[in-house]
Amino acid sequence: MTIVKKTKLAEVIHQNYHLIPIITRFGISFGFGDKNIEQICKQYEINSDFFLEIVNAFNDKDYSPAKKLGTMPLKNTVKYLLSSHKYFNDIKLPLIEKLIHKLNWEGPENKKNKATLDKFFNQYRNEVIEHTAHEENEVYPFILNIENNFKSKNKDNGFIEILKLKSIKDYEETHNELSSALLDLKNIIIKYLPPANNSDVIEQILVEIFDLEKDMEDHTKIEDTVLIPVASKIEKELRKYLK
Amino acid sequence: MKKLSFIIAEKSYIVKTGLTKIINNFHEASVLRETTDLQTTIKLVNKHNPEFLIINIKLINDAHEDIRQLFSKKINTKLIIFVGTKRENEYFEYFDEKISIDDDKAEISKKIQLLINKKRPPNENSESGELSEREKEVLRQVAMGKTNKEIAEALFISMHTVITHRKNITGKLEIKTVAGLTVYAILNNIIDIDEAV
Repeated sequence: MTIVKKTKLAEVIHQNYHLIPIITRFGISFGFGDKNIEQICKQYEINSDFFLEIVNAFNDKDYSPAKKLGTMPLKNTVKYLLSSHKYFNDIKLPLIEKLIHKLNWEGPENKKNKATLDKFFNQYRNEVIEHTAHEENEVYPFILNIENNFKSKNKDNGFIEILKLKSIKDYEETHNELSSALLDLKNIIIKYLPPANNSDVIEQILVEIFDLEKDMEDHTKIEDTVLIPVASKIEKELRKYLK
Repeated sequence: MKKLSFIIAEKSYIVKTGLTKIINNFHEASVLRETTDLQTTIKLVNKHNPEFLIINIKLINDAHEDIRQLFSKKINTKLIIFVGTKRENEYFEYFDEKISIDDDKAEISKKIQLLINKKRPPNENSESGELSEREKEVLRQVAMGKTNKEIAEALFISMHTVITHRKNITGKLEIKTVAGLTVYAILNNIIDIDEAV
C-alpha cells in the first residue's frame, strides 16, 4: 500500500506496526484519533511530503525515496537522521542492554556468560556511538554547509578553503562493520549461548535486535540513496560555481 | 557462506516479485538486482558476474543465439530464460534453464534447486558447524587478538593457511567479527575469559 496525505495515521499503524518508532521519531504522540497524515503533519509542523517519503520508504522496500526526497532540502533529511540516531543511542541500545543484564544461568557459568555477552555488547554500543558522533560532528554539518552555500550563492572565502580540503567523497563510508557485529550477536544468541533460566528475556532480546537491524538498514538506505548522492551533486555544482 | 546471486531482468512487476519471492525461499540464494532493460542487464552482469541471470525473452529481441556474446568473456553466469507465452519455446537450447509463465511453484522451485545444486553440491554446504582441532587453535589465537602474521608464526603455518582457516571458521560458525569470534571461543572454553582481548 502506498501511504498518501489522506491516509489515516491510525490505519498506517494497523497495517504496519514497524512504523511505530518512525512516527514517534517525528515527535507525534499517540491518541490522534481519526486524523489523516495531512492534518497531523500540520498540527506538528512537519513537512508532509517529507513525512510521506520516509514512511513509504520504510513501509515498502521496493519504494525508492531517492527521486522525490532528492528535490527536498537536505536539512529535513539530516534532522530526521539525527532523530533516529537519538533513538538508537538513547532508547533502543539501552533497552537491549537492560535485557542482557537480566539474563542469568545456573552455576558457575553464570558469571562468565554474563561478562562475555556484556563486553561484546558494550563494544558494539561504543562503535555505534562513535559512528553516529562522527556523522553528527563531521558529515552532517559539512553537508548542511554545502547546501547553505549553494543556496545563498555567496562566494564565502572561508568555505572555499574548506572545499579545498574535503569533499563528500571522503565520507562515503561503509556501515559493514556495524551490521556484521549485529549479525554476529544474533547468531551467538540463536546458536551458541547456553540456554538461560529466563528464556522469555532471550526472546525479547532477539525481537529487539531484529527490529534494530531493520531500522538501521532503513536508516542506511536513506543515507546511501538520498543524503550522500544529493549532497555530491550539489557539491559538484557548487565547485563549478565557485571556480 | 556467500549467497549465490541472481539478477532478474523482467519488466513485469508481478513476475519479478513472484520470481524474487521463490528465490528468496532458498537460504543459499538471493536476488542481487532487478532490471527492466537489456542495456542495464548487460552492464550489471559484467560488473557483478552473478551466478545466475533470469531474463525475459522479450528483453533480448533477436539476440537469442548469441546471447553469451553480449557479455564480457570472463562472465560465467548461468542463463535462465523466462517465457511468457507458449509460442516462444524454440530458443531454449541456448540457455541453461527455462522458466515459463505456466510453471507452478513446485516446478520453478525444482528448477532453481537443480541450478543451485550444480553450483554448490549439497554435501559441500551441509557441513556441520563443528570446528576441527586446528581451527580451534587458530580461533584461540584470533581471540587473543593476534594478527594473521603472528598466528602463522605461532602455529608454524603460512599466512595463506591462516587466512583459509579463518575463512572456514567464519563460514562454519556464521560469525564474522573478531569480537564475535572471541565470544564463541569463551563460551566454548576454547579460551579463558582473562586471556581474551
